[in-house]
Amino acid sequence: MYIPEADFEYLIRTLSDARSRATELAVSIGSRLGTEHRLTELANTAASNIEITLRDIRNAAAEKTESGIGLKDLQQALQTGTQPVAPVQVTSSPLPATSFAAAAGLDAEHWLSTFVDALLAQAHTAGGITFEGTERLLQQRKDEFLRDFLTARRMYRTYPRLFPELADPNRQTF
Amino acid sequence: MNIYPGEFNELRRKASELMSDTADVSSLLRSRLGDQHELTRAAEQMTASIETLARELRSFDSSAEPTLTDTYQNPY
Repeated sequence: MYIPEADFEYLIRTLSDARSRATELAVSIGSRLGTEHRLTELANTAASNIEITLRDIRNAAAEKTESGIGLKDLQQALQTGTQPVAPVQVTSSPLPATSFAAAAGLDAEHWLSTFVDALLAQAHTAGGITFEGTERLLQQRKDEFLRDFLTARRMYRTYPRLFPELADPNRQTF
Repeated sequence: MNIYPGEFNELRRKASELMSDTADVSSLLRSRLGDQHELTRAAEQMTASIETLARELRSFDSSAEPTLTDTYQNPY
């Protein structure tokens, strides 16, 4: 099986857009004809099938990405005689003497700092920096940020006493 | 049901656009992965369901237009 990265990006972009439009179409039809109408059911089926295809393609793209990183790490390990590093451990790559975070006055854990570090690390690989790779790295940062945000929100809602500094009623909650 | 023909024409147009915009997904996957791959089959099922929706919407819209000639038999 071989699908170029550009094809994956095209398919995911196309299907993401199609899913939104199909869902909107299903809602419009349902609001006019009712949820039990055959046309509404057909629209819901189409939206569902788009969702399934999009999910499968995203999974295939993710598998390809993971296997690609694993191979790269194995090659590096063979060259240096060390153990492979974890796939997400971007800080193991050579970094500039002055980090972007320090230069920009950002916290070292800021997503932009991590993104730039990962991007610079990618520049040292054989493939260099590509648009596709850059978009993928940014998407990873976005996904990671969203996961962390949702986790923090769940923790705050479940254990509000652990966050006394946020207990101020005038303060905006998550 | 209170449906205006203009509204339904818009829905029909959107469905047709959706069909044409996603038409190359299954053909691309077929050319890359072959007919039997599960991704290709999922995409073909998706394409078929969108085509069915667009076709049924066209039919429904035609049946809602009393001034049209009766070249189509209303299934409802």
